[in-house]
Amino acid sequence: MTSKLTLTKRRTFLTATAAIAGAQFTGPFIIKARGETPVKIGFIDPITGSLSALAVTEVESAKWTVEQLNKKGGILGREVQLLVEDSANDTGTGVQKAHKLIERDKVDVIMGDVNSGIAYAIMGVTAEKKVFHVVPGGHTDPITGKDCKWNVFRTCNTTAMDAAAVTGELVKKFGKKWFFITPDYAYGKTLQENFVKNLKKAGGTFEGDMLPIANADFSATLIKAKAYKPDVLLNNMGGAAQLNCMKQFVQFGMAKEMALGGALYELETLRSVPKEALTGWWVFEWWWNQPNVPAVKTFVDAISPAIGNKKPTARHWMAYVSIMAIKLAAEKAKSLEAVKMAHALSDMELPPEVSLSPNKVRYRAGDHQLMSDIFVGEVQQAGAGGPDDLFKVETVVKGEDAAGSAEDTGCKINWPA
Amino acid sequence: MSTVTTRADSTVVRPWQQLVIIWALLLTVPFWLPLLGGYTAIAGRVLVMALAAMGLNLLLGYTGVLSFGHAAYFGLGAYGAGLTLKYVAASTPLAILAGTLLGGIAGTLFGLLLVRRRGVYFAMVTIAFGQVCFYIAYKWDDFTGGYDGLRGFVRAPLDFGLFKLDIAGNGTLFYYFVLFVFGIAVGLQALILKSPFGRTMLAIRENERRARFLGLPVEKHIWLSFSISCFFTALAGTLYALLNNFADPLGLNYVMSGNIVMIAVMGGMRTFWGPLVGAVLFVMLQDYVSSMTTNWMFFVGTTFVLVVLLFPRGLMGLLQRKGAGS
Repeated sequence: MTSKLTLTKRRTFLTATAAIAGAQFTGPFIIKARGETPVKIGFIDPITGSLSALAVTEVESAKWTVEQLNKKGGILGREVQLLVEDSANDTGTGVQKAHKLIERDKVDVIMGDVNSGIAYAIMGVTAEKKVFHVVPGGHTDPITGKDCKWNVFRTCNTTAMDAAAVTGELVKKFGKKWFFITPDYAYGKTLQENFVKNLKKAGGTFEGDMLPIANADFSATLIKAKAYKPDVLLNNMGGAAQLNCMKQFVQFGMAKEMALGGALYELETLRSVPKEALTGWWVFEWWWNQPNVPAVKTFVDAISPAIGNKKPTARHWMAYVSIMAIKLAAEKAKSLEAVKMAHALSDMELPPEVSLSPNKVRYRAGDHQLMSDIFVGEVQQAGAGGPDDLFKVETVVKGEDAAGSAEDTGCKINWPA
Repeated sequence: MSTVTTRADSTVVRPWQQLVIIWALLLTVPFWLPLLGGYTAIAGRVLVMALAAMGLNLLLGYTGVLSFGHAAYFGLGAYGAGLTLKYVAASTPLAILAGTLLGGIAGTLFGLLLVRRRGVYFAMVTIAFGQVCFYIAYKWDDFTGGYDGLRGFVRAPLDFGLFKLDIAGNGTLFYYFVLFVFGIAVGLQALILKSPFGRTMLAIRENERRARFLGLPVEKHIWLSFSISCFFTALAGTLYALLNNFADPLGLNYVMSGNIVMIAVMGGMRTFWGPLVGAVLFVMLQDYVSSMTTNWMFFVGTTFVLVVLLFPRGLMGLLQRKGAGS
């Protein structure tokens, strides 16, 4: 009995050894080529809370991008690991998660956050710890303006860029008399200031109302707007407030009296608005339908099956570009050291399969802001391209033209000694 | 009640044993926490939230009055510290002093207006004051940074003339600094609770009418209790700003007030160390579960419900026999 057991154990051992040895040859060679330590990217985003729809899209894209990277050898021949943390749309939690990722998980790079306030706070931690940091989707200007940091790069546009991009088009098409409906907080104020600056340059006049961020009843403001008889009504509200404002704008029959427009609009929001609110002139930071850019079609075809066969949104693009930029920076610097990566990425022109844009795109050295193309056009009810064909691009404005000079942003990058 | 208080010596874990265990654990955090997969910064957050909840507990647990607006004083403490560091001087002690005074004095003044309210009315007015502070911070862009929060300040190293303590660059040193401030604050709280004033707080909690018939100036004592509670919560707020190098309006919001109440209730609102235990549970749950699932709030909520249903005296109630904390 004992000898039988011993025999069985020996056989089991031999079989297992042979299997493990065999696995060394049958396994993917690419894994063998990788270094032992993975490259860790920590991604902090508000997966819960009012910005969750946008954050979930970014995370979805980041996961897909990392999967694709790992199939092609990772970064610097090392596997890439994505560690996602929920900031819960709360600054304290976001900062805590940044500490967690840097101190405990020893991440090489931090990404995040959709919420500009949290992105600011995380910037403080990453600068202190000297960790390379990419902000994929937090818009407020000072991130790459007067509060810029040597280690922080931003992929999405500034409010100044979005406002500058659409102002010329609206003035040209409709006129110089505008009425603003703007959320009463820093993002809205910065956006309106930028609109007003550009409008005044064009010799325009304006009036407007600053309303609470989650305002639901726009009747008083819309009556005021109607009396002012503007050429364009600028709806700068966001999320549900933006949607309510548009619905009431249509119900008041104002669509026949004036044009509707605004800065940021997202495909995630377009999908959930009723048909009557699919109107107006807007800015998209990236659009999936770019017939003249072959790399875009390749990207859309590749990612769509992984995201429920829907078209990718600007948020998918932001996370994709951010991770690919991290790879490019690390490979140019041949290091994951933050200072070397930051120097490497400054002014680096992104290849077309990364930028997915018609013009040349780079993270500008002066403020680390991505000079991406801005898509200005008209929102429409579903077009020939399917249920996500909700926007018709009329003009593509170069990021460089919309952003002004790096000096004008107030950014002074202080590199560590 | 009398039979309960006579059994105070039958505590499962005696107070001095509690004290030794708690301080031994707190003093050695940087050594054992990383071994359990933690990190020092989270221990700092636990101490800050615990101090805020212990401040509230003076009012809720020991005076029997519920405030749902303590985030106002917590946030004012944070803004006071941040604004001092940004606009006045790069001095951490000055920032702590200024923040504590700002939150504490605001609480003292608000307290004057609400001492005559009781129950749900008291709670409602505290929420209203909290939201007033929230909207001031939210709207005053130029000074407070508005919705984006107050940035552009960092905690300064402690300068003792002969030597400097670099609490700005050294996370472990900063933890011990927070622990030092926490120690002084809880020591003061213990002294207050042991004083005759502390006993009158308990008397008001147990039977306000009887306390009034005994000639105690109930309104004045509730006001004092509210004011002291706000000073401690504001102190926690200053530490929160130093921990994050940031202050934002969400720190003043009623959601934060709810978190502070939840911590106190989960830990045990009639026990001295209960809020610390509640803070450990709340912060750890939030930190670890949120890394695993986006539905982490469900687990935090379920834990809260279970604790309230199964251990009405909070987790510290498990360690103490009925009434031992009184």
